[in-house]
Amino acid sequence: MRVDPNLSGLLNAGIQGTEQALNTAVQQLASGQRVSLPSDDPDAAAANLQSLAESANVDRYTKNGDATLSQAQMADSALSNVVNELNQAIALGTQGADGSMTSENRATIATQVQSVLSEVVSQANTALNGVSLFAGTSGAVPAFVPDSTSSTGYSYQGDSGVNTVAVGDNLQLNVNVPGDQVFTNPNGNVLGSLSELVSALGSGTTADIGNAVTAVRGALTNIGQQRVLYAGVVNQINAQESYLSQETISLTSQQQSLTGVDMSVAISDLTQAQIAHSTILAAAAKVLPTSLLDYLK
Amino acid sequence: MIGLNGSLSIATEALGAQTAALEVASNNIANAITPGYSRQVVSLSSAALVQNGTTIDEGVSYQGFTSVRDTVLGMAINGATSEQGSLSAQSALLTQINSAFSGTTTGIGASLSTLFSDLSALSTNPSDPSARQTVLNDAKALADAFHQGAAAISAASSAANQQVSSAVAEVNELSQQIAALNGEIATTDANGGDGGALTDQRDELTTQMAQLIGISSTKTDGTPMLTTSNGSPLVIGDSSYQLQVTTALDGTAHVLDGQGNDITNLLSGGTIGGAITARDSTVPALSQQLDALASQFGTAMNNAQTTGYDLDSNPGTAMFAIPATGSAAAGIEVALTSGSQIAASSDGSTGSSGNIKALLSVQSTDLASGATPTDSYASLVGNIGFAGSQVNSSLAANTASLQQLTSQQQSESAVSIDEETANLIRYQQAYSASARVISTINDIYTTLMNMSLGGS
Repeated sequence: MRVDPNLSGLLNAGIQGTEQALNTAVQQLASGQRVSLPSDDPDAAAANLQSLAESANVDRYTKNGDATLSQAQMADSALSNVVNELNQAIALGTQGADGSMTSENRATIATQVQSVLSEVVSQANTALNGVSLFAGTSGAVPAFVPDSTSSTGYSYQGDSGVNTVAVGDNLQLNVNVPGDQVFTNPNGNVLGSLSELVSALGSGTTADIGNAVTAVRGALTNIGQQRVLYAGVVNQINAQESYLSQETISLTSQQQSLTGVDMSVAISDLTQAQIAHSTILAAAAKVLPTSLLDYLK
Repeated sequence: MIGLNGSLSIATEALGAQTAALEVASNNIANAITPGYSRQVVSLSSAALVQNGTTIDEGVSYQGFTSVRDTVLGMAINGATSEQGSLSAQSALLTQINSAFSGTTTGIGASLSTLFSDLSALSTNPSDPSARQTVLNDAKALADAFHQGAAAISAASSAANQQVSSAVAEVNELSQQIAALNGEIATTDANGGDGGALTDQRDELTTQMAQLIGISSTKTDGTPMLTTSNGSPLVIGDSSYQLQVTTALDGTAHVLDGQGNDITNLLSGGTIGGAITARDSTVPALSQQLDALASQFGTAMNNAQTTGYDLDSNPGTAMFAIPATGSAAAGIEVALTSGSQIAASSDGSTGSSGNIKALLSVQSTDLASGATPTDSYASLVGNIGFAGSQVNSSLAANTASLQQLTSQQQSESAVSIDEETANLIRYQQAYSASARVISTINDIYTTLMNMSLGGS
């Protein structure tokens, strides 16, 4: 049987094949990607997109966590200041309840408690990025404003709304406690008890002062309870963020294995392509120039 | 009994035959690299004459030359070439779409993620105007990504239309050339000649045509016929039938046969068949999926908007304007004009982020298509990839088989320089021998002459 006399055609096809293999190997090594077009591996390309979307979610949960964390920490530190102020008010009240106190002395103490009250209100009006932390979801700034018609001298501008922030696929955190629940809660009214103490020191009996001090203690207990929420938020975010950073690592490695290059495979592919390429070139160099004409001299 | 004169005429005849053989070899060598050329072999036979029951040898008889070609193999090559033309056209168009959807940090998928991330960030500070503006910008970027995706797909369709138009023009030119060659071949055949080189040229043009359009070639009563795969005539004998291209109402290029019948959907194979397949079946499926995603996602976001209130405590309005007709992906626009219109609030209070939950839930809720927006997009990209990889692997298989067929054909028909060189030497030796016969007879005659003159 006659054979194809044109070795050049066969050799060209072979050279093209090995060049293609070299090209692919170099491209994969250079880009670090095994899949550069979806058609390179449709399944991997689609799964990679889903994994990337999941990564984006993890990123935003982390960012939300960071934003919420600073909010919660700020609120918690405001409440911690309030606790100090309330302890000071209790000390002042206890001092004022002493039967040996003159009314002048009590008036001085009343002024001090009044300044405690203003300090507490300023803590209650704490704002982050122009948003009151204790105004519910109303967006009111500040949360409490002076109001002569109110028994406490202040009225609440906010509402009782609570915002939630997602820090996980199924983890929504309540990120605020409305101001009325913290500062004018009937079960421990901070502003109410402080103004009660001021007026008791001004005009009340020792027993009135004692009652007012007890009310301030009740308010202190309430603040303690409200702080638990923020502490819980901080703990949950910290736990969630360490989970999320684990998740980021596993998603990144998932994406790498889906579309990335396995370096050892890529390098051995490159070596193989190199060997194949030089082999076919050597074959071409040997075979192509030979002709019967060379021997007919 | 043959005399010296007989030998002389046999030798002279042989010189002629051997010259003819040398001519065939030299023609083969001259065309060693001519595309489509089939090697020719000289036909010689020993001439004999039967006289009174006795065979009398009359030397060699030159009977012309024939081209060595395998028509069946030629048809198989044309079939594989058509397949290759079709797959190459499809591969080019699908690679174009694949590149447009290859982005992992850009494109619809990334824009979807960014939109949801920034919406989610808004929930930590719902009244922040810059966070709202960011979400609005994200929505616009997403609409743009949809536009770009739709544009990439429709660009592939228009490229297919252009391919159809230009390929039809080439087919028409080729069919004219083939018809002209058919005429010449018929004439040389009628005059008893071998169509040889002309037939090679025609076969080469036919293969070129097969690259452009699926063809079938037959011979009826000695008249060669070339038709499209559905039977519309392209060339019958020496007349060619021109295809036409018209642009349909939807802007697509349609192919009409010589009689004006629309044969667009009946064509297969070749650049034309491939472009039509990609344009009319592969691409529309992808474009429908993209449009469905744009429209269903837009609707879901719009519905989520209406359950909440904007920064001015007004009920939420549609985020996206989705065109009622035409491509949703190409026409989707952001309907909101200000970040304050994002319905983050669930109760009308300006600091509420309650409705962001509803907006975010679009990401994890199945659309009408039965998958979440992200999964729908991933499946679209998967389908785009599948379409491309399928065509690419068919193309690789087809290239291999075409190569094999071509090599098989070459083994039959290609000129081997070594073979021709060996033949040349053989013919040269035979020629020298014949010439020696003549000179020998001449010597004998001279001897005879001298004998008769001087030998008295």
